[in-house]
Amino acid sequence: MTKIYGSHGKILRVNLSLGKIDSEAIPISILESYIGGRGLGAYYLAKEVQPNANAFSRENKLIFMNGPLSGTLIPGNNKICVTFKSPLTNSYSYSLCGGHIGPELKFAGYDGLIIDGKSEIPVYLWIDDKSIELRDAQEIWGSFIPETEALVRNDLSGDQSIQMAVIGPSGENLNKYACITSSLFREFGRGGAGAVMGSKNLKAIAIRGSKDVIVANPKKVKELSELLSENIRNSNGGRIRRQYGTAELVEKINSRGFFVTRNFTSGYFKEGEKLEGPKMRESLVFGDSSCFMCPIACGKRTALTLPGGEELIMEGPEFETIGSLGSNCGISDWPTLLKATSICDKYGMDTMNAGFCVSLAMECFEKNLIGLEETNGIELNFGNGKALVDILELIGKREGIGDVLAEGTKNAAEKFNAPELAMESKGQSLAVYDPRGAKAMALSYATSPKGAHHMVATTFGAEIGMGNRFKLENKAMLQRNHQFSMCIVDSIGICSTMRAGIPLIQQVEAYSAVTGFEADVSVMNLIAERIINLERLYNVKNGFSRKDDTLPKRFMDEEIPEGESKGEKVNLEFLLDEFYKVMGWDDNGIPSESKIDELALTDFL
Amino acid sequence: MVQKVLVFEPNKCIGCRLCEQWCSFSHFEVTNPSKSCIHITRNHEVQLDLATYCHQCTKAPCILSCKFDALSRDEKTGAIIVDNEKCVGCRACIQDCPFAAPVMHPEERIVLICDLCGGNPQCVSHCPEFAIQYLEVGKADRIYRSIYLEKMTNLMKKLRGGNYND
Repeated sequence: MTKIYGSHGKILRVNLSLGKIDSEAIPISILESYIGGRGLGAYYLAKEVQPNANAFSRENKLIFMNGPLSGTLIPGNNKICVTFKSPLTNSYSYSLCGGHIGPELKFAGYDGLIIDGKSEIPVYLWIDDKSIELRDAQEIWGSFIPETEALVRNDLSGDQSIQMAVIGPSGENLNKYACITSSLFREFGRGGAGAVMGSKNLKAIAIRGSKDVIVANPKKVKELSELLSENIRNSNGGRIRRQYGTAELVEKINSRGFFVTRNFTSGYFKEGEKLEGPKMRESLVFGDSSCFMCPIACGKRTALTLPGGEELIMEGPEFETIGSLGSNCGISDWPTLLKATSICDKYGMDTMNAGFCVSLAMECFEKNLIGLEETNGIELNFGNGKALVDILELIGKREGIGDVLAEGTKNAAEKFNAPELAMESKGQSLAVYDPRGAKAMALSYATSPKGAHHMVATTFGAEIGMGNRFKLENKAMLQRNHQFSMCIVDSIGICSTMRAGIPLIQQVEAYSAVTGFEADVSVMNLIAERIINLERLYNVKNGFSRKDDTLPKRFMDEEIPEGESKGEKVNLEFLLDEFYKVMGWDDNGIPSESKIDELALTDFL
Repeated sequence: MVQKVLVFEPNKCIGCRLCEQWCSFSHFEVTNPSKSCIHITRNHEVQLDLATYCHQCTKAPCILSCKFDALSRDEKTGAIIVDNEKCVGCRACIQDCPFAAPVMHPEERIVLICDLCGGNPQCVSHCPEFAIQYLEVGKADRIYRSIYLEKMTNLMKKLRGGNYND
């Protein structure tokens, strides 16, 4: 047998219905064709979970996959991807988590972990190298995220080196956007992976590993490690992220007038200055925090004593949270924002979808579409910090209006008879970039397989750089290229931030040195295209097509009223036409037969 | 030659664990935190990363604890050297180390103790934050002194409520 490097060529399977635990080889040809991480996730989900499966059924799987670079010396190799059928979007979904959990699974000897079935009673999974068991979690069920980690750790002799992925009450009560949390502040955030885990009665996964990660060309990997670490650390992007974390983007986006403001009724938040990176650094930050093998440390350690005396210590909030729970809800003060973030963190729900559920309710309240009867007596005006905090607690507990909002923006808006006010696509809330102010972002949101998502292609930076962010022309190709480059980092297993100092050509060099596979940029792009088309095909088989590649009507009909993107709207149909053309998809957004053939995906038809 | 030792400053550590992986890679050509002689452990609740590592004690308790004569001192660097032939993996040195530094090799019954990479510790040369340094023993104490002084300053600040005019 050919020796496999970087990856182990091995996955762990856990069937919770039967309590069955097996390990299984990954064929080398599959590793070569799908790389790892997001790519392997696509392969296994498409192969094993019917596209029309109910997300909360036993058939649905949580497919955790590392990339080949995970656990090596290559900087930023900490991203592990979970792929699953999403309860929020009823579509294909994947979500990536940083921190230390992915590499720990790698050190336990597995590239991936596939969980299916449903346990009779709440359990947690304990992976201690080869010794793996399901343990009773009935006493832990119901606990918040930090308590869950502490209780599981306590049950495992308190070993602080154990890495964990856990769900909180939101995962248990099937909040559609519940996340899986690792190390308290790193999440598989989007799409409701936490709810899928909850539906399987799986409270936590604890991992401790002591196996080697072996690379094909140690000398080359050593050299690249040193070079790439230096490059990313000294890059402009790396330096700024170190200083201010992702919060650096507040100024960049708001000053250009495409920062979510009050449920996208505007693209410019007047009080936004208070939320900028330097302000955050000055008033909250006491240290910097890294994920595994990352020399940047974009994580910001923050502390604040609230007016009532409560002390909050956390990592973040990140940019998307600052926007979703902040400007999006008209909030501009750190104590409210930190409190709101901490509530999402303890219940284990995505701050972005949560923020957009609250902003939807706020707009409905201000437009008298819902009243105090529906809001549990809470005056839900934009800018009311106490209301934000109270509503989030209700969502966590699924009480009153919180029960409605835990179903996601789309479902909640239908309940409020205001579907056009839900800022979502395929049921997933948008991120904080207003697509009217950076047009290619409209394609990221509309064509992502997992519903509105900024991380399938973060084109806004390039659009700012090229000075053509309002133009519609040439955005389809830009979108395509960015989707490819994102798919590559998501599959080899490095953080997308590494792109700031490690260009694709060096990523490929690292991939080859680690795996021993010969590859170049065109090979990697072809694999990325294969993965993206497979994700697309999965949704197509479930009835998705152009009709689902949508944006909220607001972006097509209403101009941004103020700021540097004033007067802008989106022509989504034009963008979709162009994008489908460059992707080799038909007018209805379906991959053509020749494309499927070219990408060796005919088996999946 | 004046002996040099490792000194770690918690406030500088970002928890990236580059030191661990370089330690295992430079000794075994693999990455594996369990084969590293330095370990970074994060306490999430208080957002703190702490290192456990060999402090190169003068009257090394590990050497004193070894009944099999497996541990000795490198003449050049003063690092603890493990004789793999003699080591039986009894873990007495692990129990006696005041800093929980020695670790068991995950596959073989031998102990791993920092050898200072022969005088060029890889954890030090790859720490992006200079959180771990390799200093002459008489200068290493100054780092501890300043850590202590910072602690005292913060304490006094708290006691005085930040008002220095009192």
